[in-house]
Amino acid sequence: MRKWLLIMIGGLIGLQSQAQQGFKAVADLTPLKQQFAKAAQATQSIQCDFVQEKNLSMLSDKITSKGKFWFKKDNKVRMEYTQPSYYLLVINGKDIKIKDSQKENKVSGKSNKLFEQINKITVDCVRGTVLDNADFITRAFENPQYYKLEMTPASKALKEYFSKITLLVDKADYGVSKITMAEQSGDDTTISFLHKQLNANIPDALFSAK
Amino acid sequence: MLAAMVATGCRSVYKGLQTDAAAQPECIRQFAPQFTNTLYSAQVDVTKHHLSGLVLLKLMPDSAIRLVFANEMGFKFFDFEYDKDGNFTKHFIIPKMDKKPVVKTLSQDFALVLLHPDLRNAHVARENGELFVVAPTEKGNNYYITDSACTELRRIEKSSRRKPVVRVELRHYQNGIPDSILIKHLNFKFNISLQRVEKK
Repeated sequence: MRKWLLIMIGGLIGLQSQAQQGFKAVADLTPLKQQFAKAAQATQSIQCDFVQEKNLSMLSDKITSKGKFWFKKDNKVRMEYTQPSYYLLVINGKDIKIKDSQKENKVSGKSNKLFEQINKITVDCVRGTVLDNADFITRAFENPQYYKLEMTPASKALKEYFSKITLLVDKADYGVSKITMAEQSGDDTTISFLHKQLNANIPDALFSAK
Repeated sequence: MLAAMVATGCRSVYKGLQTDAAAQPECIRQFAPQFTNTLYSAQVDVTKHHLSGLVLLKLMPDSAIRLVFANEMGFKFFDFEYDKDGNFTKHFIIPKMDKKPVVKTLSQDFALVLLHPDLRNAHVARENGELFVVAPTEKGNNYYITDSACTELRRIEKSSRRKPVVRVELRHYQNGIPDSILIKHLNFKFNISLQRVEKK
């Protein structure tokens, strides 16, 4: 009896926590998928700033990084970290280029499962097909301003790295405002996208990965 | 000729050290980095592989030091702890790196950087105007090498019976914390280079 009471209280607290942020479950994902895809179709390019926070739960500390993000249809992504140190990631289809302050590496996304998955999530987010990703079980919530997509990894390989990936999608443009990648250890990494510019003319040279 | 070469090859590179019984090994304690909440940009070269990331060193309320290495995108590689007595705990390491020799090598390398050696059986020796604090280990010695007056740390060498196998350099101290740290393995290609960056 006591156990059931505790479970009920736990469940109520959980519900209350979602409600406090004003998020309620989206029962039918079909209209959301359609709206997402429609908005993504109109998005040729995105450029914005980003702030990344790595939260280290056991250390009660965080590492904050900043940089610039570019996306161009269909599958070109450039993430350039400028703080606290330089780091560049360019994804152009199957080609990936990584450059740090000392060295440049070119890898094939195909040969690196984790990069392939990150690549897929990033591109799926901006193409509006993230809800179709079979590597995750997705639950959707909404409040008046945002959709919140909670993606739980289905494969063992991804579960080693993430316990959950949460996307906050702005209803104004169906663009991703924030990605939170939660690890099994209790740590998480949040990337917030700021000062977004849609459909600006971005030269292809920025995505050179060869 | 061959016998001379073999003899030279087997000689310890530390054979010329002259013991200085009057000098105190404790003088090297002053070089222990005073990490409180310090961030480094890290470059690691292991055989043909190169990886980069960020290393956070944080002094915890119980005086332990936590050391976390994550890549720039936030993927954590490992999280180690050294308590105030230098005892090591592995809190996390990615499955690919979770091999006994890897953990042992990394934990011993970073223990050299923290510079909290057991000096109970240590002694001081000198050679070529340098002071060597010699701390015996299981398989050889750790050498903490300074200038003659022990005012500047030149390098740390973890050695086998005959020669150094790991060399550590802590450079450009600012308020008790080195701006650059280099860990170099001398018997295979494994180098860790840390450059201090501003933590916001």
